[in-house]
Amino acid sequence: MTITEKPVTEGPLELESGREAIAERPLGVLTRPQGGRGWRDWLSTVDHKKIGIMYGVSAMVFFVVGGVEALLIRLQLAVPNGGVLSADVYNQVFTMHGVTMVFLFIMPLAAAFANYLIPLQIGARDVAFPRLNALSYWIWLSGAIFLNSSWIVGGGGADCGWFCYSPNSGLTFSPSHGVDFYAIGLLIAGIASLVSAINLIVTCLNMRAPGMDLFRMPVLTWMLLITQFLLLFALPVITVALFLLMFDRLFDASFFNPDMGGDPLLWQHLFWIFGHPEVYIIILPAFGVVSEVIPTFSRKPIFGYTFMVFSGIAIGFMGWGVWAHHMFVSGIGPISVAAFSLSTMFIAVPTGVKVLNWMATMWGGQIRFTTAMLFAVGTVAMFTIGGLSGVTHAIAPADTQQTDTYYIVAHFHYVIFGGGVLGLIGGLYFWWPKIFGYMLNERRGKINFWLMLIGFNLTFGPMHILGLQGMSRRIDTYSAGFGFEFWNLVATVGSFIIALSVAALFHNVWKSKREAADLPPPGPDPWDARSIEWMIPSPVPEHNFDEVPTVDGLDEWWHRKYGFDDDGKVVQIATAEEAAQDGSAEGVHLPAPSFWPLVLAVGLPLIGYGLIFNLWLCVPGGLLVGMGIFAWALEPVDDPDAPHDHHDDDDHDDDGDGTHDSDDSVGDGPDELALAAAAPATPGDKQGGARS
Amino acid sequence: MSDPVRSLISRAARAAVFSRSGSLRSRAARAAVFSRSGSLRSRAARAAGFSRRPLGLVLGLVLVLAGCAQDAELDTFQDRSETARQINDLMYPVLIVAGVVLALVCGAILWLAVKNRVPADKDYEGEFPTQVSHNNRLEIGWTIGPAVIMTVIAVATLITHVAVNSTEANAIEVQVDGQTETWEPRVVVVGQQWWWEYRYYLTRDITTEDLGKLGEDADWELPRADIVTAGQMVIPTGQEVELIITSRDVIHSHWIPALNGKKDAVPGLYTPWKLEADEPGVYFGQCTEFCGLSHSRMRMQAVAVTPGDFQDWIDAQMDEATMPTDEDTAEYRGMEVFTNYCASCHLVTGLNDGDYNGAETYSGSAPDLTHFAGRTTFAGGLFNLYNPDGSLNDDDLAAWIRNPNDVKENYADDLPEGSLPRGMPDMGLSERQISDVIALLATLGPRPTEAQILATEVE
Amino acid sequence: MTAATAAPATPGESTAHDDHGPSTGISNTKLAMWLFLGSECLLFGGLISTYLLYKTRRGPDNRAIPTDVFDIPFTSISSFVLLMSSLTMVLALSALTRGDNHGARVWLLATSMLGGVFIGGQVYEFTSFLREGVGFTNNPASSAFYALTGFHGVHVSLGIVMLMSLFVASWQGKLRPEHSETVEIVGLYWHFVDVVWIFIFTVIYLVPA
Repeated sequence: MTITEKPVTEGPLELESGREAIAERPLGVLTRPQGGRGWRDWLSTVDHKKIGIMYGVSAMVFFVVGGVEALLIRLQLAVPNGGVLSADVYNQVFTMHGVTMVFLFIMPLAAAFANYLIPLQIGARDVAFPRLNALSYWIWLSGAIFLNSSWIVGGGGADCGWFCYSPNSGLTFSPSHGVDFYAIGLLIAGIASLVSAINLIVTCLNMRAPGMDLFRMPVLTWMLLITQFLLLFALPVITVALFLLMFDRLFDASFFNPDMGGDPLLWQHLFWIFGHPEVYIIILPAFGVVSEVIPTFSRKPIFGYTFMVFSGIAIGFMGWGVWAHHMFVSGIGPISVAAFSLSTMFIAVPTGVKVLNWMATMWGGQIRFTTAMLFAVGTVAMFTIGGLSGVTHAIAPADTQQTDTYYIVAHFHYVIFGGGVLGLIGGLYFWWPKIFGYMLNERRGKINFWLMLIGFNLTFGPMHILGLQGMSRRIDTYSAGFGFEFWNLVATVGSFIIALSVAALFHNVWKSKREAADLPPPGPDPWDARSIEWMIPSPVPEHNFDEVPTVDGLDEWWHRKYGFDDDGKVVQIATAEEAAQDGSAEGVHLPAPSFWPLVLAVGLPLIGYGLIFNLWLCVPGGLLVGMGIFAWALEPVDDPDAPHDHHDDDDHDDDGDGTHDSDDSVGDGPDELALAAAAPATPGDKQGGARS
Repeated sequence: MSDPVRSLISRAARAAVFSRSGSLRSRAARAAVFSRSGSLRSRAARAAGFSRRPLGLVLGLVLVLAGCAQDAELDTFQDRSETARQINDLMYPVLIVAGVVLALVCGAILWLAVKNRVPADKDYEGEFPTQVSHNNRLEIGWTIGPAVIMTVIAVATLITHVAVNSTEANAIEVQVDGQTETWEPRVVVVGQQWWWEYRYYLTRDITTEDLGKLGEDADWELPRADIVTAGQMVIPTGQEVELIITSRDVIHSHWIPALNGKKDAVPGLYTPWKLEADEPGVYFGQCTEFCGLSHSRMRMQAVAVTPGDFQDWIDAQMDEATMPTDEDTAEYRGMEVFTNYCASCHLVTGLNDGDYNGAETYSGSAPDLTHFAGRTTFAGGLFNLYNPDGSLNDDDLAAWIRNPNDVKENYADDLPEGSLPRGMPDMGLSERQISDVIALLATLGPRPTEAQILATEVE
Repeated sequence: MTAATAAPATPGESTAHDDHGPSTGISNTKLAMWLFLGSECLLFGGLISTYLLYKTRRGPDNRAIPTDVFDIPFTSISSFVLLMSSLTMVLALSALTRGDNHGARVWLLATSMLGGVFIGGQVYEFTSFLREGVGFTNNPASSAFYALTGFHGVHVSLGIVMLMSLFVASWQGKLRPEHSETVEIVGLYWHFVDVVWIFIFTVIYLVPA
């Protein structure tokens, strides 16, 4: 990870050498993309919104892949002694289902929200490092494709479970290449998440609009920020684990081989030190979405903003002290078990605070059950079930009965699907008009929601019972006579209802798009929402804000629409249309697109294939990566031939002010920061008015 | 929660579970046939238990669970030991608390949804609700409230945690080869792909430290044991039996839900655990840590017998197998087949113990077959060795010997150069050879009682 | 209201245009580097923990572990060389801020050469260990040793690449005093790598097994 990622972070340093001799065609290979329309634009874009959309679309593709795997699992388990899949294939399918859903669906879907919404919610023109942002996406995608390519070229998927416990993941017990693809694929995807985490943290900390104090940031941005910190510190741990696993498998080391004196529990510790924060990485973005949706449709501010933020921070911190609750029966000793049991129980407290605060937000509100609101409320209820069953696992003695049974499967699906996925799909319904400029049909959305809620509970509710009745996890079949038959069949039926609901979602997207032509456009603020992304047109113009708003408080946008009269009653001071920006700014200078992130990202899987099959393949892979970095460094951030009337770079120098100048000169990020935030947001007079 | 209340709740809950459970009768029957003395008493005791059952109907949450517990051999709520009861006595109240919290949250959401609902398809109009942004006192309250609830649960958890992790010294006297030995009931449990081995050290005290040491007096990296069996662990009732759990390849997990929670078998670690059964019976288990191809087909039973029966079992296990001498019999031919094809992996004391040096498998082990026919399951607890009518289940046994991979997936055939089988290979025996070797195996008794056969019936 | 007052953390001097600068007052790149180094702490933390767990595990064949063949005086010297490179890094930065381009160039070159000496020492150490029978695959102890020191070596090497890039830029006259933050950020990375080595050296070489 570090090997390749280091120069990426540092690459821009060499920009200086390139700036004066502007290379329009670095290395003479790819013409500097000019932006515009069509696929080229998507391949070279550095626009956080387009990148967010690409994350979202790719995530949904992998949702379908993981979903098909889930359906195969459920078909296999529908009846005793199921014969749909062989044991070998079943093990690959459930492993890849877990890996796909966690790393290739929920995380990128959350990344889609983070990319799209963080800059909008804090009033920025883009993220801190737009090209690195593009790099993150392409690297993630190349890792995801690499991981799944093992079905075709690796002799099947990984067959060690998503947790990949050693020594079962060793070469002896898993001789196919599946686990190699798992290790290297996740390493590649990890680079993407790390780069993206750094990028988004810097964005949150440094790119806020004037007046946007940390404690005026919307809860969603806060939760996403905490998520990025968790990623920042959790990823290196799994990186170490994956490297060691790779060394074991490819270079004959013996980190996890007990026959050679390796310790299988080391893997478990490393994996879960990453793996437990990962749970919060998955769930916190959904918490953030819920915290935006519920106030909007309750017509009230979020109840206890400060508690919401600090409980999120508390979860982020406590999430580091509970990892061994995944290991209560692994033989870590009763004292450790007791300690981790207690720490796990108390992480329920900040989570409980969130649930109660959401309900208090609804309390006394005027609740409109739009589809987004239904999903948000469904998230609260389903997550509560998952949280409560989590408490029963925290009780270590009871966990010895529950762990590695379907009770656990039920629990984490209630948390990850019921909490995470429902919340994020609610977010899709909520921000869809903002992103795509048309509304998703509410009636079909409600069908989507109820199908999903019913299917979800039919699938995973019975798993509580199955687990307590003693059905082990990860079994490819079960015998009749243990009482597993009925509820497994119910779960299988439920899983197909979920599949139907996902189809309903896609249908809604497609049909609503077709109908949108005959409907009035949604306008900037179709939900009467609260945060500043709703003050700009839908879909969001490329430059985001005509002028970067100055923020006076929490729920800035709401306060631009409403005030209080002397009696403390809410009065409208402006309609959304009046208060919103019209997106008419022209000549806003934006960071130029680049092909190099894509080139660099293509090199990484080549290195991966090389490590697995033939080291010679690493050569072109390494060359591509090296060329990407080199050309990246030579490519000026700013394209002098950009079609719009641009704001010349040199303008930055004429302030003669060391502080800013150093910013400018450092390279990629600050330049783009300067360009994004500093470029004349609007025609001069307007800008002056906004600023002073 | 006071003890009487807790036991009341748990008893009620268990009763509720049983009330729907078709297995109760058969379970009682199983228990009965195993205790030579008190079958009627135990049946009567069960019957008495039924009369208290109405209490259970109160507990809706548990009823939901109970409604599903039909004939579930692995049901965690059908506890049959002190430890399993302690766990459930902790679990029930927490489940009830969780149920109440869930009902409150969902109830409140529904109530709010009904009470505060405004049309969703129209924009907001009219006056705003009061814009309450926070209430610190309230919020501190519902930070402390859950913390208090969790503290109570934490204390209860710690108490139970200490209880289920404590062990007691309870040495019993057993006769081994005519000698009286003082034996601290302890079984070394060894997982390997995809079966369990149970090792009994009756004539020496064995500790976790001893197990890690390799030495001359060792087979397959563990000290030589007095009794080695596979798939079925026989334990005396009413005694706390310590387990020392380990593995020879990947991580497995040993779980007999009726008697205690599970514990992982980790290669290189010797993890202490314990089991105890109140009454004679057969208690089912399943490997619960994903261990590869046949994870789902790695099963086992704990067979609890009265102390008297346990002594009989020891006596039988200490005997060597008797080999056929009449050359015209199928058994004799089977012995030759065994020597040619099976003896490189399987040990039959009395036949190949002279030159046996571990199995040619990855784990170095294969089930000890000396008393094969004395057990009631084979192939990792997957198949019945006997039909319900008491005859040998030759169909499954022949299928297993014919091609093990067909009936239980493994990695034993067509291996790449230099790797050892994990599981039983296809030995390419003819049908004649198969029936001969089955004839031999059938002699490796002593044959279990009819009752035992009925009680262990899997599927 | 000016941009500067609206965003309290903005550096005091307001600019001609509406650039309100980074909200924290730390430039994006520097902040990113700090975050990256924070992440790196966990990476080395994981590797150091692995080594500590395994440092005496010789495996079933009782093969040699790195502690058997340590040449502490040699490694101490190369550690000292690496430490000195931190000093030259500081000198390079201070020369550049002073406007002493020539000095900056010299000190940058010195820093990367000291780093190179350290890497050379590591290569020598690895080869002599291999000759003495401590291979990567010997046992968990040696695997963990090579993984930890190897990862560190890769970090130092990447640092040298960055330093050399700066040197080349300076040589071409493109590294001017206003670019001192670039040098400062590379310096951050370089100092981090040094500090990590102090930990590794203590944990591996100095604390007795």
